[in-house]
Amino acid sequence: MTEFLQLTVSGLGKGAVYALLALGFVIIFKATDVVNFAHGSLVLLGGYVVIATKDILGYAGAAAVGIAAAGLGALLVERLLISQSKLADPISLVLLTIGVDVIITEEIIRRLGVTAPFLGGPLEGAPLRLGNIVVFRPQLIALIVGVVLITAFFLAFRYTGWGVAMRAQAENREATALMGIRSSWVTGSAWLVAGLLAGVAVLFIATQDFSGAGLGRGTHAIALAAFPAAIIGGLDSTGGAVLGGVIVGLTEAYTAGYISFDFSESAIYLVMLLVLVARPVGLFGTRELSRV
Amino acid sequence: MRRAFALPALALATTLALSACSGKATDASGGGGSGGVQVGPGVTEDTITLGAFTDLTGPFKLLSEGVIAGHEMWRADVNAGGGICGRQIEFNIVDHGYSADTAVVKYPQLAPDIAGFIHLLGSPINAAIDPKITEDELTAVALSWSSFILDTPYVIIPGTTYDLEIINGLSYLMEQGMIADGDTVGHVYIDGEYGENGLLGTQYFAEQHNLDLRPVKITSRDTDMSDIVTSLRGAGATAIALTTTPAQTRSVLNTAQGLRYDVPVVGNNPVFDPTVLDLPAPALDNLFIVSSSTTFASDVPKAQEVAQTFNEQYADAPPNSYVPYGYAIGLIWQQILERACENGDLTRAGIQQAFRESDSITTQNLVADLDFSVPGAPATREVYISTPDTNVPGGQRTVTDLFKAPEAETYVAPHQPTN
Repeated sequence: MTEFLQLTVSGLGKGAVYALLALGFVIIFKATDVVNFAHGSLVLLGGYVVIATKDILGYAGAAAVGIAAAGLGALLVERLLISQSKLADPISLVLLTIGVDVIITEEIIRRLGVTAPFLGGPLEGAPLRLGNIVVFRPQLIALIVGVVLITAFFLAFRYTGWGVAMRAQAENREATALMGIRSSWVTGSAWLVAGLLAGVAVLFIATQDFSGAGLGRGTHAIALAAFPAAIIGGLDSTGGAVLGGVIVGLTEAYTAGYISFDFSESAIYLVMLLVLVARPVGLFGTRELSRV
Repeated sequence: MRRAFALPALALATTLALSACSGKATDASGGGGSGGVQVGPGVTEDTITLGAFTDLTGPFKLLSEGVIAGHEMWRADVNAGGGICGRQIEFNIVDHGYSADTAVVKYPQLAPDIAGFIHLLGSPINAAIDPKITEDELTAVALSWSSFILDTPYVIIPGTTYDLEIINGLSYLMEQGMIADGDTVGHVYIDGEYGENGLLGTQYFAEQHNLDLRPVKITSRDTDMSDIVTSLRGAGATAIALTTTPAQTRSVLNTAQGLRYDVPVVGNNPVFDPTVLDLPAPALDNLFIVSSSTTFASDVPKAQEVAQTFNEQYADAPPNSYVPYGYAIGLIWQQILERACENGDLTRAGIQQAFRESDSITTQNLVADLDFSVPGAPATREVYISTPDTNVPGGQRTVTDLFKAPEAETYVAPHQPTN
């Protein structure tokens, strides 16, 4: 029982970070119909800025600047590239994001050289103990931050003008434009929010207790593991993204603990396939209706 | 008449001179004579050039820099003593960045002008250029300790192999009362030649002592070991063996400490590098590193001498255990080349023959005495065991003298002759 609870705590902690990342995929997809494969590079960008500014600004200042940099990076991608390609095929835009991902990732890896620095800060430290269960700090804080940010996002999504505009544009872009809502403002803000969430996620990912690795290619790989989470939940469902993140985190932990570690990665994709067979649009995705 | 004779004579002399030069540069086996010694590529009347195909820009940069510092100190000593066979030692160092693709491209730039490789770093690099080494008859010290590669006659493993390291390490734990017959033992290993070679050792030891072995296969990219350690704790493992990278070692130790899972962790020599020392001390106390070579801060007299020279000449460089290892590799090459010189044959074939005749190489206990005369067999079965210690230079403190476990004596390596 102790092992089960320990794996559950570990899975939920990681699931919270996957949820933040998956939410980024979903927000962008809802606003622009683009699957953003540059999300991993935005995670790296945020982490790199934290590393670059930590000595000058201290951890808290550097973390704030890193989060802002990831958000700004996403906004620039949208403003400079995506918004200039309105007539492009969605597949072309996906390829464009892959190109952006390669450029940003390789440049950051080149700058890091052979080092893979941990972001450190208050997230590292002695774990908490609840009887026989150990909760590592990044996992606990990720869970709390994840719940707070996701709740805040849902409240904003439901009750603010921005949220209404986002939902309206996701439903019908032309009608939204006719209602006087600026599409560029909606899409730009969606990319910005997704980038900010990526900037938050990296603060947890590049720690000893969460991933065991500093900032590097491994960080990018973990960020991309959130993609199945978004697919499982439904690529246009924000609630689904959160559930997908938790499912991925728990699947990874349980399979590594009870079946085998090398099966845990493929298990995530196996779950994704099973979900897609049962519900091709994901657990909470919107079924595409077409007139016959 | 005199002029008619002189022109063909000059042409003949020129042709002979040119063919002698080209023979030196390209002929791998025949070679030319020089001072009564047959010579081949990489050997002139004044110099012997050894190549280092290494990683100065990739993940093993620190390791490579330590080994090369050791090589350079050996070279300075040997050259100051008059060189080998009346020739000064020179190095040609080429960086492959731990990329097999880069290594394949750069190999032709390096191979024609060297007598052998003072070191060749990396299992994937070895695998990529192994056929070329055999074709070019280049004897090479592999900085890879897998007994699987001992089927290549030109490969020198300067110490024992991963399988024997683990056998000795587990035997040490048993001798210290940390594990017992019938215990459950986990082994986290990287999929591939390195990890699988280490696992051979655990499997053999488990058979001998009726251990319940729980192998866990990972890839070199995995860094989060928390679920694995949780699972091993649930299985009741009383020790963990590691054939992993330093980052993975760090994650295992960190998680075990967080879970208050207080078990010994024994690992092959590559599981440690100074980044592991970033962990808090209690996490480090359970790690035992098994290695062919002694540590930088060892009390072996030759190691102390090497450390002193290193501190004088490389004041700004971080010390590590690969510095004395680099020096030891120089001593290994010195004895092989001196034997080749005595045989009157410094061609590549002559160097290979001298390597195979070397059954008692000694490095003044930097590494155990080595016997290269049995193809396919590890050159030694003896190891040192060390533990992390932030208070000593290099971060490793030796806890045993050279020793060989009884199980290491009876183990048969994959390519070892059985008769």
